[in-house]
Amino acid sequence: MLHTAGPGTTPRCDTCGEPSVYRERTTGRHLCRDHFIADVEGRVLETIRSRNLIAPGDHVAIALSGGKDSTALLMILSKILPDLGPVRLTAITIDEGIAGYREDTVRSADMLVSRFGIPHLTVTFTELFGGTLDTFLVGREPEACSVCGILRRKALNVAAERAGATKVATGHNLDDEAQSVFMNVLRGDLPRLVRDSGSDSQGRFIPRIKPLMFISEKEIAVYLMLHGAWADLPECPYAVHALRGEVRRMLATLESKHPGTMLNLMKSKAKIEARCGGVLETEPVRHCRECGDPCSGEVCQLCTLKKTLKK
Amino acid sequence: MLPADTRIFMHPARPVPHKAMKILLPDKSRRDAGPGPMTVDALLAEFGFDPVDVIVSRNGTLVTEDAVVGNDDEIRIIRIAHGG
Repeated sequence: MLHTAGPGTTPRCDTCGEPSVYRERTTGRHLCRDHFIADVEGRVLETIRSRNLIAPGDHVAIALSGGKDSTALLMILSKILPDLGPVRLTAITIDEGIAGYREDTVRSADMLVSRFGIPHLTVTFTELFGGTLDTFLVGREPEACSVCGILRRKALNVAAERAGATKVATGHNLDDEAQSVFMNVLRGDLPRLVRDSGSDSQGRFIPRIKPLMFISEKEIAVYLMLHGAWADLPECPYAVHALRGEVRRMLATLESKHPGTMLNLMKSKAKIEARCGGVLETEPVRHCRECGDPCSGEVCQLCTLKKTLKK
Repeated sequence: MLPADTRIFMHPARPVPHKAMKILLPDKSRRDAGPGPMTVDALLAEFGFDPVDVIVSRNGTLVTEDAVVGNDDEIRIIRIAHGG
């Protein structure tokens, strides 16, 4: 764990005068270790309360990959749990089968749930779909994120149902959400822009919630570092193929030069959502003629994809 | 008071040598920089890092981008892995 004491050249916390470990780039506010941790946890609690993400009696399945975001999510939810009323937590892990990447994060997830004493359930792509993601992607690497996204969505639903969960909490952070807003604008996909995964469920799937949606990737890294929970884990080897990678670099540059860019994108989305969200949610709920899962067309994305997978 | 027979030896003034900062980069390689003083922001710019993408510690302590580093500080630059 890193210490927070430093020499005189360290800026001081605006609240208590202790050495600062974090500076908000938009406001210039400095925070010491304790005030930074309290600030992050308070904002997550505020997000949950203001959006009614978790209610007393809920059984929340935390999608725990073992990477930094889901690790922070589990730590924060465990800590603020007493403020949420009677709520149960279960960790669910999806092992896609990505050699040289997923082994480390799954090991990290195992250690974390042992430390926090949280029930843990793991499902694998091999068990559900008959092969690993590595196998499925041979020769179609540029499609990695869309293929993985469809399979993961199904796997998370299966795991959450097995756990008996009423909500699925994912570790999506502010950077992820801002990137998604920008990508949907670039694709001209207005319905998806105004549709979050919670509203998307409409009772068809177990609702997804994103308690870290207003916490930046950097804040998550600092939070973990201050708790001695930072692990130098690898990045997904398929991430280089994704449009998201280009958007991430572009937004990081903009955020650096113009602090607040990512938060402003989220505000823009909220304004558009408030004006036309209901108008665009007009697609009737249908059921896939092959598997029976809810979908918007004749055949769901998963069944369409499965026909093209190499095993 | 010193005893009367105390002999005092004085060394001629010598300039204090400035030591370089030791930088541990995200790929685990080591470089020297400085000697400073300079802000963390300036140091990151010198090495081509975007402050949004990294966190920095000085002598094992997390520091903000406007902290001043220099002389023989040991600086670690940690890249934030995306995803997870």
